[in-house]
Amino acid sequence: MTHKLKRWALNQALEHSRRTVLLTLFITVIIGSGVRFIFLDDNIMNMLPKDIDSRRIWDEVIEDFKYTDFMFIAFGNSGGNILNSEALSFAWELSEKFDDIPHVDEVISISTLNRMDSDDGFLEVGDLMPHKNMTEEEVASLSDYLKSNSNISSRILSKDADYINIILRPKSDHDFPGMVAAVSNITASYQNQYEFHFGGQPHLTGAIPALIKTETQQLMLLGLFIMAAILLINLRSLPAVGMVLSVIFLSALSMMGFMGWVYHFTQTSRFTFSMVNTSMPIVLLTIANSDGVHILSRFFREARKHKDVKKALTMTMNQLMLPIFLTSITTTAAFLTMVSSPIATMTGYGATIGFGILWAWILSSTYLPAVIHLKKWNMQNTAISKPSILENLIHRFGRSILEYPKRILATGVVIVVVSSIGIWFINVEVNIINLFKPGNEIRESTLFLDREMAGSMNLIVKVEGDLKDPEVLNKMVDIQNYISKFPTVNTTFSIADVIKEMHKSIMDNDPKFETIPETRGKINNLFTMYSMSGDPDDFEALVNYEYETGLITAMMQSVSTKEIVIMADQIKAYIEEMGSEKFITETSGMMMFLKDFTNLVVQSSINSIILSIVIILFIAWIFFRHWKFGLLSVIPLTSAVILNFGLMGWFGVDLSHFTALLTSIIIGVGVDFAIHYISEFIHYSKNGIGTDEISRQVVDDVGYPILLDVFSNMGFGALIASSLIPLVHMGGLMVFAMISTSLGTLTILASVMEINKQNLYKTGNA
Amino acid sequence: MKNLAIIIIIISWMFGLTGDELVQKMDDRITPKDSKVDMVMTLTNKKGKTRESSLRSTTKDDGAKQIIWFLSPADDKGVSFLKIEHDDKDDEMRMWLPAFKKIRRISASKRSDSFMGSDMSYEDMSTRQSNEFKFKIIGSEFFKDASCYLLESKPKEHIRTEYGHHITWVDSTLFVPLKEESYDKMGKIIKEKYFIYTVINKYQILTEIKVTNIQKNHSTTLKFNNIELDRGVKDSYFHERYLKRLPK
Repeated sequence: MTHKLKRWALNQALEHSRRTVLLTLFITVIIGSGVRFIFLDDNIMNMLPKDIDSRRIWDEVIEDFKYTDFMFIAFGNSGGNILNSEALSFAWELSEKFDDIPHVDEVISISTLNRMDSDDGFLEVGDLMPHKNMTEEEVASLSDYLKSNSNISSRILSKDADYINIILRPKSDHDFPGMVAAVSNITASYQNQYEFHFGGQPHLTGAIPALIKTETQQLMLLGLFIMAAILLINLRSLPAVGMVLSVIFLSALSMMGFMGWVYHFTQTSRFTFSMVNTSMPIVLLTIANSDGVHILSRFFREARKHKDVKKALTMTMNQLMLPIFLTSITTTAAFLTMVSSPIATMTGYGATIGFGILWAWILSSTYLPAVIHLKKWNMQNTAISKPSILENLIHRFGRSILEYPKRILATGVVIVVVSSIGIWFINVEVNIINLFKPGNEIRESTLFLDREMAGSMNLIVKVEGDLKDPEVLNKMVDIQNYISKFPTVNTTFSIADVIKEMHKSIMDNDPKFETIPETRGKINNLFTMYSMSGDPDDFEALVNYEYETGLITAMMQSVSTKEIVIMADQIKAYIEEMGSEKFITETSGMMMFLKDFTNLVVQSSINSIILSIVIILFIAWIFFRHWKFGLLSVIPLTSAVILNFGLMGWFGVDLSHFTALLTSIIIGVGVDFAIHYISEFIHYSKNGIGTDEISRQVVDDVGYPILLDVFSNMGFGALIASSLIPLVHMGGLMVFAMISTSLGTLTILASVMEINKQNLYKTGNA
Repeated sequence: MKNLAIIIIIISWMFGLTGDELVQKMDDRITPKDSKVDMVMTLTNKKGKTRESSLRSTTKDDGAKQIIWFLSPADDKGVSFLKIEHDDKDDEMRMWLPAFKKIRRISASKRSDSFMGSDMSYEDMSTRQSNEFKFKIIGSEFFKDASCYLLESKPKEHIRTEYGHHITWVDSTLFVPLKEESYDKMGKIIKEKYFIYTVINKYQILTEIKVTNIQKNHSTTLKFNNIELDRGVKDSYFHERYLKRLPK
């Protein structure tokens, strides 16, 4: 069956070259035309699963109250006094403009908060800012009020009163990028007046997709340029480089078109183009590049030997059809294991990239040989007549490796074993701030908010009980006091704070009454009094309609998922110790969800990697017709995976959902080399090369395209220059996967096969 | 009947009834000197959850003087509220808080502040004056079989208000509002209000108001029972000493 298919494809490419090229181009354009149906989904929140317990709790909190994570916008000038009529008028204007943004549910700022004053038996619930343009007296009064009400000022003012903080509560998590863009549009024209800092989870998740898109596009172009340059230096033929690149572009076009068509016909969110999908073109480029590089470099070697294009092409395709087919299906299978990912879009990711890989295989088996055949090659050209520097290099490299196979193997095994110990030190942790390199604007803004303002993230403690009962409210105060002692917490607030403030106000601003009143009747009187002039929505984010559920919000500095878990556990232990017969509590918020989500992604990525290795083993076993070859085919990949996670443990690189996911993606890039090596070994064992020479011949033939593939893909190492750590990881992992799997193939696998060559020779020959 | 109403409206137009004149006719309507009512206020939030309070109110001079006592829920019983409006100075508002045994003056500095946690603001409850609003009749329409003028009220520039304009369905024969839509400054509807009347002693007396805040999806229904009119309540009754006594 495979022979028939191989013969048919070769016949089409060589006997009907023009028709084959036109037909493959036509079909590619038809598939690629689906690009217009691609649905861009920038919202990271849409990617996150909704069926995790912590997400359910968080959604319940949002459903009962409002959205709990805020976006922060701080403006001012360092060292100045922001409490002046001009800046306050600007805060008013900005708050009004932010309030008009459709995504914004509530603006919490100096111009929207209330103050409670009591003087000579007169209680007034009024605005902190009664009007936009305040007189000096009014500004002084406001300043005094804020000085004596730190629970309010800590949220809206910097510690040195040189910045004003405006807090936006989103209506939902449906369009953070839209909200961030709207805020940026508003503040853009004031950047010369004041220094602005933005932060908070909605800002991070809203700004990251655009940043990733921009940086990926720029660095990918740079990577492509480097790739083309390395190919040109080694292949020394512009048409040959053009042919490799054309396979890459046509595969990428069909892949994107496929995604568009599937979305068009199914409308499933699994096939939307989200932030994660930005890595798809890069991953496909490296895979499609591998096919083209193997075919062209082999074609040049065969042409050098036979001086005949058709013969060289026939020899090349006869030898490479099976390994290219095998590498394509093994890589596709590896990507299809992503359907088990808790992230819905990863199903689409795996299927789309799988299609792209299979289309790259079709193009490499039909279009590429047909194009090579159509080109009039000059056999005297140095590209064909003389080996390249890399070819000479691998020749020498191969000889030295095969001279001491046992030493090489022992060294390789020791490296893998030693690094595997590092797996036990792996730290599964995410700190959102660490997604950005030092100096990145988002990171610096977030650090500023953490340092000078209320912080950039929050932790929610949901309290269920009778929230008019003084005992419950006093316990809430105790919990708040306990939480406030954490060095990362800047301020906390809850309905208990409002009650304390009302109590103080009604008792003529006597600070000793800034407490929870001793009877339920008094608490109720305070609420009733407030309702005479306050808005019914004023407490909506603090307590539910029945006063049965309330929230304690801790505004804090950006911390890692691990730290938040420790904090949540300590809070839980404290509550249990204090006794909580009258109420129950639950900790919630984005970070609690992120912790569970990260664990889930890491677990599913590891499962996906293991499953990929098992599938590759079986596919290689079936096609090479012996379990030994199946086992050998996964040696470099398994070594690379162990090295990857082991070195992460040794060097203290946190395993986050990003790194786990990227490892499972990029590992697919590195499965090809072993298959090419084994396939070549079997080919030579069947074609009469003796056991003495077989390994050297295999390294000579396969080593060069492997190294050329690796070197040309090093261009994507440019991603390391990104200011976004996920892209840095992607570039780094790409380089690491390429180097580790190629070296694994040319050292460990080559040594194992050299040591066992007699046995394997017989098996291959059989 | 409908035809007659239409004829009346057409004749009114022919004789050029202006918005200001319509508002004047509404103001000229005869009203009781004072009243005592029991009210049931039901607040409903966007999730359909409700809060119910019953109150007793005595008013005089078209609501310029008012005392409200909370009867239920039990937590609120005894709380009372006194309001006296003044033309030349800020309104006077006091509250009796029985748990604290204190009377506290309170202030709603913003006209848009909610009244008693309801969807009605102080602005909604106050009469619109011609020096603050521009009135215009923009058409006519039937509402629940009553022919109505459509009265548009736009605040003048110096007025601080959360509203951009209001459209009121004014009964063309009784000159009472039956329905009102209030819009924000962007032209989006904020509130819808419905008014139901009954005739007691020749007066058109409100028996139910329903206000829905469309944007917040929150509504308030006020039902009036046990209405007693023209009881001869004296001005001195509106004094804080009466706040502490729940009337029978």
